[in-house]
Amino acid sequence: MKRRDFLKKAIKVFFSIIAAAVLSVFIYIYPSKIKERKLQFVYIMDEDDLPRKGVRKVEFQYKADDKEVANRVFLVAAGTDLTAFSSVCTHLGCLVNWDNNKKEFLCPCHAGKYDINGNVIAGPPPRPLTRLPLKIEAGKVYVGIKV
Amino acid sequence: MGKIFDWIDRRFGVKEPHKKFLQRPAFGSPEKVNYGYCLGGAAFIYFLMLACTGLLLSMYYVPSEKEAFKSVAAITNDVTLGWLIRSIHKWSANLFIIFIMLHTIRVFVSRAYRPPRELNWMAGVLGLVIAMASGFTGYLLPWDQKAYWATEVGTSMFGTVPLIGDYLMRFVRGGLDIDGATLIRFYSMHVLFLPASMAMILWAHFHMVKRQGPAKKL
Repeated sequence: MKRRDFLKKAIKVFFSIIAAAVLSVFIYIYPSKIKERKLQFVYIMDEDDLPRKGVRKVEFQYKADDKEVANRVFLVAAGTDLTAFSSVCTHLGCLVNWDNNKKEFLCPCHAGKYDINGNVIAGPPPRPLTRLPLKIEAGKVYVGIKV
Repeated sequence: MGKIFDWIDRRFGVKEPHKKFLQRPAFGSPEKVNYGYCLGGAAFIYFLMLACTGLLLSMYYVPSEKEAFKSVAAITNDVTLGWLIRSIHKWSANLFIIFIMLHTIRVFVSRAYRPPRELNWMAGVLGLVIAMASGFTGYLLPWDQKAYWATEVGTSMFGTVPLIGDYLMRFVRGGLDIDGATLIRFYSMHVLFLPASMAMILWAHFHMVKRQGPAKKL
């Protein structure tokens, strides 16, 4: 092998090692343990306290990984229908509020608006508000959230 | 120069090779420049202020989920002159970005980005990006509601990138949600990676300014 060819190969090997090192740095920085979100039913209120009509903001706490986590959902009651909406805006994850005068959910971050059925009526959100499963057992209401 | 400097320089040898730069006229002729040419220097002064106050803040700040907010409150309320150091850091950060922008506008209107200064323009843009990244990572560190939600929004934007968005977001957050992993990741970026990159970029920036001199006025 000529010296020139050897050096060309050596340079290739050198840069391959550098590339591998850079790649391993990115793999190192990427989180190694990403927990899987599981659907968990959390107690929010007794059946007797459920709203008959309109929108009710329900704030509750639960434990996840030994940490107290505060969360809030919206219960929308219309006749016999009861729907639970996640308060997380589908745009960039802020928490929406219910404006009872305008009858719409308003996100304070970028003015995303949803109607009472969670459908987007204005602003940047790409999807309607997330509907959460509800469970009523022995007079107690549970909402299913992904923890 | 003084005796002490000469004693050092006889051993260190920094004066002779830098004579050309140290003793050059600052600008070709004074009528070609105006106060707009000070904006970059002003931004650099803010960078130095940020570096100094940042070093001081790092002595009391604790980058952990449970301690971060408390330690920032302690810096503000308990540490002697802590409120002053933190305020200088905060306001310098704002003014740093503002002066970089003004400097960019000055360079743009005086057409100083044109050859042979394109590479220096690129270095400057990179510096702006690093400054913005420092602002973004620094904003989380007080670990209060505003910091949390700003970072929730900011990191969620990474999630909107097509195809690789989810990976990118976990990469930035260090997990699914914003928690202690995100905080220490941002802290590391804020106090180690970004300032080190900024120092290198600024060295290149100033090196090219020295080599090429100021562009002519409009």
